[in-house]
Amino acid sequence: MQEELELVMRCIEIIRIREISCESCGALRRSFSRRNPYYKSIYRPKTGDTGRKRDKELPNIEDLQSLVLASHKNTGRRKIREIQNCQKKFLRKTLRQFLYKKKSTPWIKRWRNRKVNPAQPQIQQVDGGFFERFGSLLRESAEIAKEQEQKEQIECAEQAAKVITKIEEETEEDEEKKVKSDEENEEEEIAPSDTEDNKADYIAVGWNIDDLYLEILYEILHNVGCDVSYDIGQTALFSYIQDAFKMSNEKHEELLAKAEQKEAPDILLNVEIIEAKDIAPKDSSGFTDPFVTLYLTSNSSHRYNTSVKTETLNPVWEEHFALPVTDKSIEDTLCLEVWDFDPAESVREKLGKMFQVKGIKGVRKFVKEVAVTATTGQHTNELVGMARIPLKTIPASGMTMWYSLDKKNKLTRQGVVKVHLAFGSEKNQQVAAQEHRHLLRILLLHELESSQVSPYWWCGNFSGQAEAIITQHSVQSGLTVTDVALSQFAVYSSIHRDHPLNFALFSNLIDKLIKPIQTMTVSEEEAKLFWDSVKRLLPSCFATIRKIRKKCPNEKATLKMIKEVLKILSQLITIDPPENFNLFPANLYGWLSYAGEGPNCDINATLRDAISQGASDWFNYILENNQTSDNSEEGKLQNMLKIIQLVRVDLQRAIEYYDRMFQEIMNFQYAKCLYILYQVRIATMVEPEVVTMCKSLKTINYDWNCFSDSEANEPLALGTKLFELYLALQRFVVLGQGLCPADYESFHIRNFYDWFHGGVTQWLDIAVFKALKRIEKAVELDNLKPVDNTVKFSSSALDTLTIFHQIKIFWDQLNWPDVEGSYTFIAKIIDDICRCCVFYADRTSQRVEGLGDRVDVYEKRFEVTSEWCLAINNIDYVRQSLKPFTDKLGMEDVIQQLSELKSPLDAQRCQHTLNNVIENSIDTVRNKIIELLETVTNKMSPAMKRLLVEGAELFSQDSNSIDKVMRYLDNNLATLHEHLSEDNFNRILEIIWENLAEILSDLIQSNIDKRRPPSFFANLRNTLQLMVKCFKQSEGDSECDQLKKVEYLLFINGLETSELIHQVHLDRWREQQNIKQGPFGELTVRAKFEGNVLFVEVMNARNLHPMDSNGLCDSFVKVCLLPEEKFTNIQKPKTQTQNKTQFPLYDETFKINLTSEQKNIKDGLLLFSIRDKDLFGMNTQFIGEAFLHFNEIAQSTESIESHPQLQLPIHRPTNLNTDLMKALESRQGDKLAKEFVKKFKQKMVKETN
Amino acid sequence: MSNRVNMRPTSKNILLKVVILGDGGVGKSCLMNRFVSNQFDENSFHTIGVEFLNKDVEIDGETYTLQIWDTAGQERFKTLRTPFYRGTDICMLTYAVDDKASFRNLNMWKSEFLFYADIKENTHFPFIVVGNKTDVSCEERKVTQMEMEMWCDENGVASCIETSAKNASNVQEAFKLAIRHWLKAESKGDKNESCYAADTVDLNKRSSLNRSSCCMGSTEE
Repeated sequence: MQEELELVMRCIEIIRIREISCESCGALRRSFSRRNPYYKSIYRPKTGDTGRKRDKELPNIEDLQSLVLASHKNTGRRKIREIQNCQKKFLRKTLRQFLYKKKSTPWIKRWRNRKVNPAQPQIQQVDGGFFERFGSLLRESAEIAKEQEQKEQIECAEQAAKVITKIEEETEEDEEKKVKSDEENEEEEIAPSDTEDNKADYIAVGWNIDDLYLEILYEILHNVGCDVSYDIGQTALFSYIQDAFKMSNEKHEELLAKAEQKEAPDILLNVEIIEAKDIAPKDSSGFTDPFVTLYLTSNSSHRYNTSVKTETLNPVWEEHFALPVTDKSIEDTLCLEVWDFDPAESVREKLGKMFQVKGIKGVRKFVKEVAVTATTGQHTNELVGMARIPLKTIPASGMTMWYSLDKKNKLTRQGVVKVHLAFGSEKNQQVAAQEHRHLLRILLLHELESSQVSPYWWCGNFSGQAEAIITQHSVQSGLTVTDVALSQFAVYSSIHRDHPLNFALFSNLIDKLIKPIQTMTVSEEEAKLFWDSVKRLLPSCFATIRKIRKKCPNEKATLKMIKEVLKILSQLITIDPPENFNLFPANLYGWLSYAGEGPNCDINATLRDAISQGASDWFNYILENNQTSDNSEEGKLQNMLKIIQLVRVDLQRAIEYYDRMFQEIMNFQYAKCLYILYQVRIATMVEPEVVTMCKSLKTINYDWNCFSDSEANEPLALGTKLFELYLALQRFVVLGQGLCPADYESFHIRNFYDWFHGGVTQWLDIAVFKALKRIEKAVELDNLKPVDNTVKFSSSALDTLTIFHQIKIFWDQLNWPDVEGSYTFIAKIIDDICRCCVFYADRTSQRVEGLGDRVDVYEKRFEVTSEWCLAINNIDYVRQSLKPFTDKLGMEDVIQQLSELKSPLDAQRCQHTLNNVIENSIDTVRNKIIELLETVTNKMSPAMKRLLVEGAELFSQDSNSIDKVMRYLDNNLATLHEHLSEDNFNRILEIIWENLAEILSDLIQSNIDKRRPPSFFANLRNTLQLMVKCFKQSEGDSECDQLKKVEYLLFINGLETSELIHQVHLDRWREQQNIKQGPFGELTVRAKFEGNVLFVEVMNARNLHPMDSNGLCDSFVKVCLLPEEKFTNIQKPKTQTQNKTQFPLYDETFKINLTSEQKNIKDGLLLFSIRDKDLFGMNTQFIGEAFLHFNEIAQSTESIESHPQLQLPIHRPTNLNTDLMKALESRQGDKLAKEFVKKFKQKMVKETN
Repeated sequence: MSNRVNMRPTSKNILLKVVILGDGGVGKSCLMNRFVSNQFDENSFHTIGVEFLNKDVEIDGETYTLQIWDTAGQERFKTLRTPFYRGTDICMLTYAVDDKASFRNLNMWKSEFLFYADIKENTHFPFIVVGNKTDVSCEERKVTQMEMEMWCDENGVASCIETSAKNASNVQEAFKLAIRHWLKAESKGDKNESCYAADTVDLNKRSSLNRSSCCMGSTEE
């Protein structure tokens, strides 16, 4: 019987809309999965061998399949509904046949077992992604059928496939994709049958369906209460119940007749007096001692009393009473009377309360009370008020109401009383509860079938008729609220497995049940029932959490659903399941990591597992579904990027929608839990790939000079992708830092950058490569016009700096966490930037090359253009930006960290290295600038040279050519001055000086060789001086030494020979100033001018160099005035010869008359020539000479004795290798010069002797 | 090698980028510090990544500015030092004469350098092998000069020298030798690079056979 009943239930279940299709799908699928290993792999039963065996044992799978096929064949292209009806009918018929069998066959058992195997709900939970596969699966299934069946059948099979797919799609619209499906999870859900569980529910009591039907009919006939049943009417209820129970008319009539014959039921009116408020005070103390009396007017003698609550106006009773009523007593009325209890008190006791009396009214009452007590000595209760409640106003489902208390002669309200009223029966509680469960089940299934409720939608609202019947049953069976809730919970949770109901329903029910369970007011069996139901419900709860990704989080329904699930869990956590109760059987929770012994009831741990498992499965799923055919490294990177992106989206969603909910309701850090799982998975996925990739990275080949053929593109793209991955991981890690600050340190992924070590080199190379390309382009596009009026550089300089800035951004993005690496990479970046600068300088100079060259009929020359200047300024601008740029790389931070990590000494060394690199860079670029300035000067020099020569040749005759020089220089210098920065202008001036000096010395040399007359050099010198004037911005500018020297050369070469000779003498005089002790002795003289007369006294000589073989001298002194040609009229005075002494005393004074012209001559010199007269007087030998400048001779009228003695060193010329002597020597055709040089040499030769 | 010309202003000193490679602890930093500042620190630390110093050297009337990159020899610094190989003019392969392993690793260093410096296969690159720490006693010495010369012959490296940063012996000479070697390679390379590579073997073989006990002999050829 039990099994038959169950089968009926099953039958009805199966016949429910769309279930049939699932069923046949499942059957089809299973049948194919056994044949085709591919499907087996997809639909492998997770629960292991038992599940598979069961599949194999199924004897009628083929039957079922052909049944479906046949039904389609028969109906052709009819509508889905019709197909379903056919299926329904067929199944119903089949099942009925089984029903009639007295004993259950093994087949039935097995079938039932299989049925219990909850494959269907999982199928229903699949979303779009799955459908595609599923559809194709069925298509393939049709192909297999092709081999077996005829062509017609194939058509049908295909239709069936379409139809089935359609039906499923219809019913599962709410589970729209968004998150991709993870089919494999489905199988996991397929738990083995827990038959005992089901039995406990509705097989334990051998309840006959007819009996239940009869009972319901009977209850309808004896309706109680004022509810819907009145509105709906018996007939409607009958037809509803007949429909729900699928009763035939005859059977219905038969059972109805039976029901009518039955006696009316014993109904009880359950009354709970809960509390009263604002009761009118009756005692003198201002309080009342109230109690309630209740009775039915039809039987007023049978009264019920509550206890007395002393001295209160707001008593709380919460007391229950059951008043028997008949169904005839519906016109009856319930009376509630509230009384003030007055116990018999002695007068003395009353008086004792005197101090408690309040107000004048109280005094009056008190006096009255005392009087009454004194006279009667008996207690007298006083009526406070009463309420009348007609029974027909009480709904069958019961109600809680406030009633006001009236008193006959009083108009004012005497207070209100709160009463709970409900009808009940005297049935056996257990039987009634079970009855109720079955009824609920049948009606709910009927409801679900007829109204086509979506999964997870139904939340406890029956149709009117069903509501009425259920209420009647609970009332007439005398079920308590807890009983009803428990029944509902048990039934709903069992149905929920096949047709998911709204979780809010369960959460509300648990809310109602939790108190009785906690307080143990329910029986042990009821508690067991509760926990069994919980056990049935939980898989679905956890499935919801595991498949959270299939839901669309921005839908309210989803959030609500999760919320309710969490509520359920949070409620369940507060109560403990019975001992040895295994809430999470391992066979149902294959994914559970629970490893302890004994039953597992840890909801929190299971929740964590569910979340982890869900995330893990999802991760596997995206891994599997994103396997690209592109097996290149780039493809792999792209793939990993995508997966990290998906995970991030998932985490974001978790944070945005779910995390707060989990934390608030379950105190569970949802997002954190997910992150911890993901970080491990991502690390596992990425690390080996990246490490391998970085190891095998190709270096980028680029030539500093040409990029046109960039073979480097492939590693370039790969490197870029790798960097993207780095950034993605970096963002991911930052997310983790925020989510789990405590655990962050232990995360492996924290050191993700370690995997990329090899990549950084390449990224830096890529950065440089890209920078170089851009610089090249920037220079190409530069029009070499200032970007605006305020600056002296053009666009490419700005572009280049922007590029540097981008490298800095790259560096910022890289945010390399390792200090040692940071330091080294900074060094590398600075070095690279330097290379870029140099490259920029080179490109820029290439760019301006050729600009400013002028060719016309007369000449070819170079004019400095603003472009040249800008090019130089550009490079300089870039150079100046180097230092600020390097500062921005965060060097100081890195050094600081190094100092902490290593030692200050190490940090200092690193700092030193970085500074060196920077300075080296700046120097290198400055050299580039100088190079460019030199280029400009070199370009100018041919023109300068030619102009100088022209000037020298034609200076006296043609001032025009000088003008040309001047104009040329003026123009170019003006341009330079205008456009170059001051630094660079000064720099180029220096270079021009040097250059000019070089030109001139070449020119001098070549012209001396050509024996140009002195006038040539004089002209050249004039020209140069003009030019220098023009160069000079202000007096006192530093002139380069070279130029000074050149000018001096020009000066002496421009002199006439006699002048040149005098210069030699002056040189000798200057030389003399530096001689402390004359090598050939010393001469003492006195001299003075008196007017135009020169007095010279040659006094003596000392230590004369011995000239004779006896080591002595026979010396005399000859006085000459120089320059010789100016004093031709003067007789050269000579002293007497002083023989054989090195210390001769001459003591001769000469008086020489000069013209004033001669006396004032510039640089006039006195030359004392000391000579040795040989024995025979034939020849004289030169001992040495001394000079006295006219400047040194005082103008005085005093006698010469009063003048100081002048000690003059006696010396000889030593150096023939002076510019002056060279100039003289070069004048080979000049007799004067020739003679002088000869004499000069003779004087020297003497010395060497 | 045209790509390096850019770093060198024509009218100024010739800039040469020198990279010093070798196992950790063979004395690369000491070598550089001795060369640049004539200092020697007995307890010098491990180099972090790289170090950089400048030094002007005059040879035959021409001034060269050496930009010396001293690298960290430890394996963990590999990724940090390799970026600096590109654009190198001279590569110094160093080992310590009392450390056989560091000598055996010369091969590794050479190939690491060639790989990361992005130098084409058969180009002749001016390597110079430097055996440091000749100040150790005879018993401690593990690598003889002969072995070094043989290694150079086998690996087509034309110059080698033994130095002691501690005693300041041969340090200046080592760098000068490197520059001379670079000059030679440069002048030959400019004429005909491919021919040069083919010629090298013979040239080196002869020179190494003639080489006397003093390694400096090689610069005279």
